[in-house]
Amino acid sequence: MSPRPQPADLLQGTLGILILKALLPGTAHGYAVSRYIEDATGDVLRIEEGSLYPALRRLEDRGWVTSEWGLSENNRRARFYKLTPAGRKHLRSEATVWLRYSQAVTRVLRAEPAIA
Amino acid sequence: MSGERQDPPAWRRYLRFVRPNVAADVDEELAFHVAMRVARNLSLGMSPDDARRDALDRFGDVTRVRHDLVSHDLRRQVATSRVEFASDVMQDLRFGWRSLRRAPGFAVAATLTLALGIGANAAIFSVVNAVLLSPLPYAQPHQLVSIGEGSGGEFVALRERLRSFSHLAAFAQATNAIDNGDRPERILGAAVTPNLFPMLGALPMLGRGFAEEESILGNNGVIVLGHRLWQSKFGGDSGIVGTRIILEGTNVTVVGIMPPAFQFPDRDTEYWMPYAFNPGNMGVTWAVGGKWFIGRLAPGVTVPQAHREVSTTWPTLRALNPLWDPGEDYRKDAAVTPLQDAMVGSSGTLLWMLFGCVLLVLLIGCVNVANLLLARATARERELAVRAALGGGRGRLVRQLVTERLLLSSVGAVAGVLLAFVGVRWLVSVMPAGVPRAHEIALSGTVLLFTAAVAVMTGVLFGVVPALRATRGGGGKSAGSGIGLRATAGQQHHRLSGALVTAEVALAVLLAIGSVLLVRSFQALSSEDPGFQPARVIAARVTPANANYRDPARLVTLYATVLERMSALPGVEHVAAVNRLPFAQSVWGIAPRVEGQWEDGSKMLPDLGHFQEITPAYFVTMGIPLKRGRAFTAADRDGVPPVTIVSESVARKFWPNEDAIGKRLGYAWPSEWMTIVGVVADTKQDSIRDTLSTSMYVPWQQRTRMSGVEMWVLARTTSDPGALAGTIRTIVRDVDRTVAVGEIQTMRNVLTDSMHKARFTMLLVAAFAIAALLLGAVGIYGVMSYLVGQRAQEMGIRLALGATPARVLAIVVRRGALLAAAGTALGLVAALFATRFLSSLLYDVSAVDPLTFAVVPALFLIVAVAASYLPALRATRVDPVKALRAD
Repeated sequence: MSPRPQPADLLQGTLGILILKALLPGTAHGYAVSRYIEDATGDVLRIEEGSLYPALRRLEDRGWVTSEWGLSENNRRARFYKLTPAGRKHLRSEATVWLRYSQAVTRVLRAEPAIA
Repeated sequence: MSGERQDPPAWRRYLRFVRPNVAADVDEELAFHVAMRVARNLSLGMSPDDARRDALDRFGDVTRVRHDLVSHDLRRQVATSRVEFASDVMQDLRFGWRSLRRAPGFAVAATLTLALGIGANAAIFSVVNAVLLSPLPYAQPHQLVSIGEGSGGEFVALRERLRSFSHLAAFAQATNAIDNGDRPERILGAAVTPNLFPMLGALPMLGRGFAEEESILGNNGVIVLGHRLWQSKFGGDSGIVGTRIILEGTNVTVVGIMPPAFQFPDRDTEYWMPYAFNPGNMGVTWAVGGKWFIGRLAPGVTVPQAHREVSTTWPTLRALNPLWDPGEDYRKDAAVTPLQDAMVGSSGTLLWMLFGCVLLVLLIGCVNVANLLLARATARERELAVRAALGGGRGRLVRQLVTERLLLSSVGAVAGVLLAFVGVRWLVSVMPAGVPRAHEIALSGTVLLFTAAVAVMTGVLFGVVPALRATRGGGGKSAGSGIGLRATAGQQHHRLSGALVTAEVALAVLLAIGSVLLVRSFQALSSEDPGFQPARVIAARVTPANANYRDPARLVTLYATVLERMSALPGVEHVAAVNRLPFAQSVWGIAPRVEGQWEDGSKMLPDLGHFQEITPAYFVTMGIPLKRGRAFTAADRDGVPPVTIVSESVARKFWPNEDAIGKRLGYAWPSEWMTIVGVVADTKQDSIRDTLSTSMYVPWQQRTRMSGVEMWVLARTTSDPGALAGTIRTIVRDVDRTVAVGEIQTMRNVLTDSMHKARFTMLLVAAFAIAALLLGAVGIYGVMSYLVGQRAQEMGIRLALGATPARVLAIVVRRGALLAAAGTALGLVAALFATRFLSSLLYDVSAVDPLTFAVVPALFLIVAVAASYLPALRATRVDPVKALRAD
């Protein structure tokens, strides 16, 4: 196996946004969420998968996510998470802030004298 | 597949239905994640070992995550269950409310019963608490005792001899005119020995109390004012201390002001003067009683010890004064009682009795509610069984029933508190005069808590027991209950509710007997002849200011003018005046010298019950028959030889075989003899319970220096005397604006008011008895209705098998009558013991009056039969076919 790229440290709160984004298409269990983040980031952001679950609980506590038990694609009992309307709204506003922020940082880094 | 091993055991899933298992859920969720990753790794071609290692590696610290999740989920579970509990309670309340509304008769009966019980109980107990239970407002009140009533001479002799007391004090209440220089007013005060204030532990707020030498006649020109009098009459001016005011026409020096909280012997007493001994005239001092002796027990002395000393010492005083012979039985009955008991006196008996009644009503109320609840619970056994069968948890069902009962109890308790609030005010307003500390009465929080607790206990007890029984043994059996099961459950219930109804009837009988005895006493009192004709007589109290009427001639003119104008009014037959009005105020006695028999003023003189100063027409106005001789005339005035009239028993007492006319009586001082010119009938003067008493009358115009200025003017009319009230007031005001007119009352009302206490007691007890009777009837009706409902099948079968409706009717009515008979018998036995506590309140009726003891049980049996008749009638109309198909 090839050595994996060094995972970047997740900024505070970023994991929550990623999870909400992962749940945007529909209901998903924890494993599916972690697979989505893995695929979508091209494995650049290596998340310790165990930390997903406490994060999910926090999102649930704030009312952005609900959960219920159901059957998985291979017919096993699994806990499924789902975005609430509040969660959807939160994701939208957080995403806007995040994009504006990252654009600003990008512009600064691209400015003369250019690094690359 | 390795994933299979991660599966939780199958039974865990079912456990979830019972109670979410937090740890298992967390394990399952995490295991699923790892299993999925392992599966993917395998599908990517890893070896099982690598696949597993990689999965765990990616996951991170499993133990920590698991721990975090479990503790988080547990916290959340607790929070959620709290919310769920609250919403369950709301649901129970809503459900309880609905089910009460479905049975409005039951709800109303139970609520009213509880309200009555709680309200009456709280109200009466508040009174008992204020009057009987809260300690007197003096230092170490438990050491204070009453030693009885006697004369100044006896007091001095006792004080020298008794060793059980650290203090021994005497007092007597008196009404005097107090003049602040503006307008004199007659105000109640008390003459007290100087040691009274220190004995009670009371200090004046301003100035000082009394010095010992101020109790010697001549040194007694001092007064201590109560806070209220100081405020109302002297404007709260602290400069008043040390100045002089006019007390009954004499100058006295104000030496002190008592603090607002101080009261002795009651709240109506507004000032204190030193009780003055006259060491030079012990004959009179020994003879004139009316002083109350109270003491503080010396440290370590108990009431029985003090009692022994007093009851042996006091009778020996008889030997001290050779001139004075009070008789063989002198003070054989001397007693020491705690001051609180002595002050409460007969009001105590009354209040304890009322409290007893009200407790009985509360008990009956609880019994009734219990019965209603039991009947209702049994009626709902089926509903509960169905709900249990449908998966309602037993705890949940019990909780729901208890909530329903508590709801009921709370509504009853709230209504009861309102009733208590109104009740206390009403009680205070109708309370007979003379109940001590009546102003302290207020609805007590403790009482409310107590009664509310009783209500809640009733609710819980009679809510839980049937609930437990109804839900016992799961759903299946009860839901499909047939005749057998019903009959069994019914019988258990019957025994219980039968016992309750028996108790209820017993209590009601007890109350009813008490109340009938009181009603009969009151009737006897009301029909008692006072010796005069109170009908169509009106009396008005006229109080001239002392300062304006020092001259007797002016006073004579005042009353002559007033009486003359009154006699000119249309419909007035006779007018008169008297210094003290019978039944309205106590009429003093006198101990006259009797010519040829009791001439020496230093001897203990024979006591005559009443002494009154009257105008000539007093006897015709009051309707007192003149037996011999003549009445007074206008000619019996100052300056002519003094005359007197006595009542028959006086004539009999002193001249049993002679004519009293022409015989002579005299005051101890002045020494002039008064010739008897007439003999009138004996009358009652203080209380309708008294025996006819000895009276002596003198013409008001031959008044002595002792006479006051106040008189009652009387008019006998041809029609309603009450219509004259306004006119009399106007007449007096027209004659002299400075003359105060006090109470104006018809003699009929004066008499009725004197029976106030008897009427108050009678009305209250009768009200309780009626309530108890009604509750008892409701109880019997409830039980019999329930019984008929339960045994509808049995009745149906009996009718089907040919029993006549009359037979069925008899079965039910007989059962009701049996319950009532058992209760009545119990009640009678209880009443035989209990009514002896009533005897002090009874008049002319025995506490075991046979008529009462016969009539009341008969009445109850009739009520019981009537109460079971309606349900019995229903039993005869049971359709046999329907009854058999009911299940």
